[in-house]
Amino acid sequence: MTVKVQLFITCLGENFFSPVLKDLVGLLERLGVQCEMPEGQTCCGQPFYNSGFQAQATGPARQWLKVFGPTDGYIVAPSGSCAEFVRHRYPEMFPPGTPEHAVAREISERTFEFTEFLTRVLKLTDVGACFPHKVTYHASCHLLRGMGLRDEPKQLLAAVKGLELVPLSEEETCCGFGGIFSVVYPEVSAAMLADKVRNIQASGAEYVVVGEPGCLMNIAGGLQKIGSAVAAVHMIEVLAARGDR
Amino acid sequence: MSEIPSPIDFRANSRGVPPHIATSVKKATHHLLGTRATVVGYLGDEQWQLLRQAGHELRLHTINHLDAYLAQLEERVTAAGGHVHWARDGAEANRIVLEIAREHGVRRAVKVKSMATEEIGLNHALIDAGIETLETDLGEFIVQLAGAAPSHIIAPAVHMSKEGIAELFRTKLGVDAPAEPKRLTAIARARLRDAFVAADMGISGANFLIAETGTLVLVTNEGNGRMCTTLPPLHVAVVGIDKVVPDLASLHVLLKLLPRSATGQKLTCYTSFITGPSAQCGDGGPQEFHLVLLDNGRTRVLRDPQARETLLCIRCGACLNSCPVYNHVGGHAYGNPYSGPIGAILAPQLLGVQIAGNLPFASSLCGACAEICPVKIPIPEILIHLRRRAMEGDRIEGPVASPVVAAGAAAGAFALSQPLLYEAGSQALRVVQAPLRRGTWLQSLPPPADRWTTVRPMPAFDASFRQWWRTRTVEGRKQTRARRIRIAALLGGAAVTAVAALVTLRSRKGSNSHDIQP
Amino acid sequence: MTSSPDAAREAILADVRAALGRRSGETAPCVPDAARAPARTPGCTDAEIDLLVAEIARLGGQAQRMSAGELPRGLAGLVQREEIRKAVLWETPALRSWDVAGIMTGLGIEIVPAHASKEALAECDLGITGADLALPETGTLVLRTGPARPRAASLLPRVHLALVQPNALRADLATVLEELKEDRHFVFVTGPSRTADIELVVTVGVHGPQVLAAWVVEG
Repeated sequence: MTVKVQLFITCLGENFFSPVLKDLVGLLERLGVQCEMPEGQTCCGQPFYNSGFQAQATGPARQWLKVFGPTDGYIVAPSGSCAEFVRHRYPEMFPPGTPEHAVAREISERTFEFTEFLTRVLKLTDVGACFPHKVTYHASCHLLRGMGLRDEPKQLLAAVKGLELVPLSEEETCCGFGGIFSVVYPEVSAAMLADKVRNIQASGAEYVVVGEPGCLMNIAGGLQKIGSAVAAVHMIEVLAARGDR
Repeated sequence: MSEIPSPIDFRANSRGVPPHIATSVKKATHHLLGTRATVVGYLGDEQWQLLRQAGHELRLHTINHLDAYLAQLEERVTAAGGHVHWARDGAEANRIVLEIAREHGVRRAVKVKSMATEEIGLNHALIDAGIETLETDLGEFIVQLAGAAPSHIIAPAVHMSKEGIAELFRTKLGVDAPAEPKRLTAIARARLRDAFVAADMGISGANFLIAETGTLVLVTNEGNGRMCTTLPPLHVAVVGIDKVVPDLASLHVLLKLLPRSATGQKLTCYTSFITGPSAQCGDGGPQEFHLVLLDNGRTRVLRDPQARETLLCIRCGACLNSCPVYNHVGGHAYGNPYSGPIGAILAPQLLGVQIAGNLPFASSLCGACAEICPVKIPIPEILIHLRRRAMEGDRIEGPVASPVVAAGAAAGAFALSQPLLYEAGSQALRVVQAPLRRGTWLQSLPPPADRWTTVRPMPAFDASFRQWWRTRTVEGRKQTRARRIRIAALLGGAAVTAVAALVTLRSRKGSNSHDIQP
Repeated sequence: MTSSPDAAREAILADVRAALGRRSGETAPCVPDAARAPARTPGCTDAEIDLLVAEIARLGGQAQRMSAGELPRGLAGLVQREEIRKAVLWETPALRSWDVAGIMTGLGIEIVPAHASKEALAECDLGITGADLALPETGTLVLRTGPARPRAASLLPRVHLALVQPNALRADLATVLEELKEDRHFVFVTGPSRTADIELVVTVGVHGPQVLAAWVVEG
């Protein structure tokens, strides 16, 4: 039976990282996975919830459940924070007794972040990728601490042909994005980003691989600002690569 | 901290931090994280995780039965010849200590470092009443001389250089001091030794209060803790009600967790156990012992089951060391004695979100604190919970969000729950950004988006995926055409509305522009 | 707010009960099992003594083991090295059996009585105590204080010498705490006093003694 995936494209993914989403589709189809994209999806509501507007977050959340509820198959996102939010928060936001609770519970069983889906559901670490470059890895807080994905991203990178992984100093230290934090306290965010960028520059890598769209936006911008030769790419772009970059 | 009437402005405070503070704070935290890792390593990760869980369960059990344990503690301390006082707030606690001091004709007091006494501003109350009150922990002694506030729970003077301290000793103590830690420490030792012997009253906090035996436990390194609680004839301890431990046996879990997490030691140099006055015991200690149990907002924390675990804290400071935000701004930016991740959840509850509503937002929710906390306080969860208190309000306290921000959130949430509106907006941004676009980047955007772009550029809006997906199939292409027409209609309608609104606004004068809160 | 002390007590306890959703006070709660430690299996006495000595040395203390017969020479060496002139001694059966007071007097040391004033004790260069219990795992000495066993003896003098008997050693902290349940005043001493408050540079000997000497005396 073919594995079916509902693409959860995320608001950041859709608005800033279309190439990553296209790569996601390409890679999944190459692995024999059938992809569908539910129309009407917008945002999971996390930015509102984490900013303190929990009541407001139920609006987007209800829409999300309306769109993904009736689907079947796995729901996969290019973002750990979004997948975690749906899994962990929706059953809390719609507790037993609310009409959405059953759907929220059901959906949390089949919603995954992409690398989690590859390694823990498809049980794959080698996806036939080829990316012959020197690469360093930034461990996004949500993937690392929120979801416990410490080894899996490294296992996936280890299986990429030609890829040389070099260590990143303070790899597990936050890049300073933190969603709303980056605009509420921009100076502190900037200081944290400066540390991250400095470490990336010092790593000697040509690329820094990032698993979260939010971190990617932040780090890519930071590298661009200083005219760095290091390029920031999403993990999915590396895993989808065939050696022609 | 006795009076903090105006709201804490974390952003303003953090902008005012000189670079050398961040550097020295980072040096201290880096060192402490290293020593912690070594000494935790001796136990091994598996043992450490079991200990953390045991510590969590023990502390949770204790605060969930706080009334029983407090009553037992009082009974045992009294039976041992000590006096127990209860203080609902800082003012009441200060009054009690002052009254005790006056009754005994106290002129000079020596003090062990205590967060609770800083919280209530006890030093100021005593000094204002004409009682000389000397901080005796080396770091606190230095910081007191400098007339400054401590920058780290464990290492209060870490932000000061040895040259700065030597200069301070020169000007304030009239001693020619070389900028050398050993010599500076020797000077402080000599100065304080006379004070210890001559003092009328010793003031301390406590790390733990054992309910079963009525014992006060002090975990210290320098010896001043012992000096202050041994030499003066009168010992007064001001302790938060959350410091209770059920019995001596269960203390072992906390003694395994606290020193390793705080200073990277298996045990600190001295762990003092004090049960009432020395009088009957005859070991030369104080004749009189007073324990002031302090509420000052702790029962308010207790009231909220979702934030109650804030009270599990054993004041180790490890969360500060692991926090990237704290590492860049130091303690002063938090505007109260409790800084770092624990400060960001404790202060808004003790002081209220009116005063400290900024602090739960002073975090990127990275989770490093939760990972390192020896008693597994779910700090990011509580931060998010308190953010809601600040923005939407809950049964403990009402919201402090400005109407503009609240309206913005409502509008944003609405827009993001309407698929057509959302899609129209995504496409509109691709068009509207054109004049600001430089290649694949938006280098600078108008306020409030400039909060992002002053730090780094934003990627250009690029919502092309849906279109790509839909036009992969013939059916998809057909549906796309129909959708395009609907979107155009919506955009047209939106444009007309926007023009109408502009015309209306321009006919009225003046509009306030609010900074984004918090 | 009334100024009656009972009012504050009642208010706080009432607030605690209300916060926890309880009507009236409850009977003694049961401490969770997780808080009970698994005991550590110690090595043989010899190995444990060596461990204690090693741990204290690692912390900057002067630790060694000696026979009771070597005590006089040890004390003479200490007195000379640390330039001791005045000392205060605990009165314990062990110290009496080794005649520490006699040895010190013989070395020309002025013995300040254990019950002397703090001003007098502050003049002492050396304080000699026993150690009721010891924890090799952490290099900790447990001192039960009491009449003729003042706290100040291990606090005010520049040098603190603790004489430990092998039967004081215990396997772990949980065992030690269990034994101390009936005691009112005691202190754990783990190495000489220290601070790193100035630029994180470790300085040994702050307010407490600058030298901690711990001798395990056998016999």
